[in-house]
Amino acid sequence: MTQLVSIYRSRWIWSFVAAAVVWTITVMFTGGASMVGLTQAAFTFAAFSIIVGLGQMFVITLGPGNVDLSIPATMTLSGTVALKFINVDASLIVPGFLIAAGIGLGVGLANYSLIKLLRIPPIIATLAMSFIIQSTAIWTNRGLRIRPPQPLSDFAVGFTFGLPNLAWVALLISALIYLLLEKSVFGRWVIAVGQNMRAARLAGIPVDGVRCLTYVLCAVLAAICGFFLASFSGGAALNMGAEYLLMSIAVVVIGGTSVAGGDSNVPGIWGASLFMFLVVSMLNTYGFDAGYRMIMTGIIIIGVIIAASSRTVRI
Amino acid sequence: MKISQMLLASVAVLAIGMPAAAIADTSDKRIALSNNYAGNSWRQAMLTSWELVTGEAVSVGVVAAADAFTTAENQATEQAAQIQNLILQGYDAIVLNAASPTALNGAVREACDAGVIVVSFDGIVTEPCAWRIAVEFREMGRVQVEYLAGRIPEGGNLLEIRGLAGVFVDDEISAGIHQGVAEFSQFQIVGSVHGDWAQDVAQRAVAGVLPSLPQIDAVVTQGGDGYGAAQAIAAAGRDMPIIIMGNRQDEIAWWKEQKDANGYETMSVSIAPGVSTLAFWVAQQILDGEDVPQDLVVPFLTITQDTLEEALETTPEGGVANVEYSLDDAKAVIAAAK
Repeated sequence: MTQLVSIYRSRWIWSFVAAAVVWTITVMFTGGASMVGLTQAAFTFAAFSIIVGLGQMFVITLGPGNVDLSIPATMTLSGTVALKFINVDASLIVPGFLIAAGIGLGVGLANYSLIKLLRIPPIIATLAMSFIIQSTAIWTNRGLRIRPPQPLSDFAVGFTFGLPNLAWVALLISALIYLLLEKSVFGRWVIAVGQNMRAARLAGIPVDGVRCLTYVLCAVLAAICGFFLASFSGGAALNMGAEYLLMSIAVVVIGGTSVAGGDSNVPGIWGASLFMFLVVSMLNTYGFDAGYRMIMTGIIIIGVIIAASSRTVRI
Repeated sequence: MKISQMLLASVAVLAIGMPAAAIADTSDKRIALSNNYAGNSWRQAMLTSWELVTGEAVSVGVVAAADAFTTAENQATEQAAQIQNLILQGYDAIVLNAASPTALNGAVREACDAGVIVVSFDGIVTEPCAWRIAVEFREMGRVQVEYLAGRIPEGGNLLEIRGLAGVFVDDEISAGIHQGVAEFSQFQIVGSVHGDWAQDVAQRAVAGVLPSLPQIDAVVTQGGDGYGAAQAIAAAGRDMPIIIMGNRQDEIAWWKEQKDANGYETMSVSIAPGVSTLAFWVAQQILDGEDVPQDLVVPFLTITQDTLEEALETTPEGGVANVEYSLDDAKAVIAAAK
């Protein structure tokens, strides 16, 4: 049992080690002067990856072939529709947020209906869905950016106790997800389904319900993230979620969640999200050229994954 | 140009009694727009302008049809297939915003061989049989540094925000900026990040690199990234440098706010999305039998401190500063190239 614990621990610790190393190298560039600024920026932007990463983690935990590719489009649609509904009126912030969450709910249900009723593999189903969602986003507002109301944008860019507000939001969501995953029956079911769907079904677990809820959870988190990202960057843009497709999968994998499913890891998402932001900042700071920067990012990510997984195998 | 003006213009054209033949010549022709991407506000404005101007042109019978087609995935292969479809559908001309300057050459050649006129704009193609309405992207980069040299004669530190890595337009504008820095050597680029022409991406990239940078005197940009840069710099609590804007409404609105608050001065430069309508009229002129040079140049749209209010007024909330071109504009551009 202690060995098991140490395996878990040793897997997610790697993403934090990597983030710390990259942070140190970046800060060294200015002899320590950039310490506070860089840390605050890292927590601000990591918050978005954490929120979508947690959703993707749940989906990936369901087992091989499960992945949600509709995250970017969902982010775009929820940000666009919510801000259009709020229309710079501060009194409508809460209903706007609920609308964003509702869009996530709808997308999640639609995703799973495609997967279940039409028996389409999740990769294809969610990709197809993302075209529909993206087109809906284009249709609703033709790419016009509507500003968030002042209190909302103040909240999104603000700090509380030295940490960005959005990092607190991400922390709250992470805590809930952690409890859901580790302490609730639903979390145990998700892991059981991911380890062996047939065994789970024979054990009497409502497999379809579990999978459906997981896709809904992922889409809702993506929608919430889109809402905050749009509030943070001064309005929703049609291409605003684009980066979060690869990002959501990368943070899950680097964070130590098993791609084969059935084994997820919440703290690792934090380390990986900080790492993903810091690695780009480091390469930018040292002035690497774009092509070189992408190669380096790829190599570093592969390196971290190898380091994390080989460690597990040895133990 | 507003619809009412368009209407007036067309009525005027008819009323003056322009030779009916000039219109009749292309009244049975069909023009298609092949567009590779629609996922940002600039492209949406481009498509809206196209609809507005060509809708009018079709209704008064200048051409029989002017349909817009956009590929879903922004892939050259997909657009090549689209062009082949348009040839089969019997369009007389294809107006093209290409995903790649070279990868579509095969499909464009096929179109030419089938007797279809191809007019590329913004994302142009190198195939010689096509017409090109090019933007002087290099110059667009260079004028930014020239402007800054006027504002800060003693020079200083520049932060460069680039576009999407690997795209021809990004290389061109950046080359122009570097050319400008070579020309005005009192400036040096102390940091360079990719903002992908998106405010949120630019904001994140700038926030990540800013803590390690010395004082920034100005930010040179490519459009769609100035507001994000301003947000990141404000969040870091730094003095606001001169940020060159890219004609997006949020950028202009922010500029106006700063101007009113503290007399902030800058400039804004980008291509008007309405360039699609210029390409439309050029295609119409070619179909009309006009002798049009293969290479045309479209001026970019600059907003200065003096035209700021006017630009803000005419730009839709959340959109891009725009002009739609008329037949006369197209004739002027053609004449200038001869």
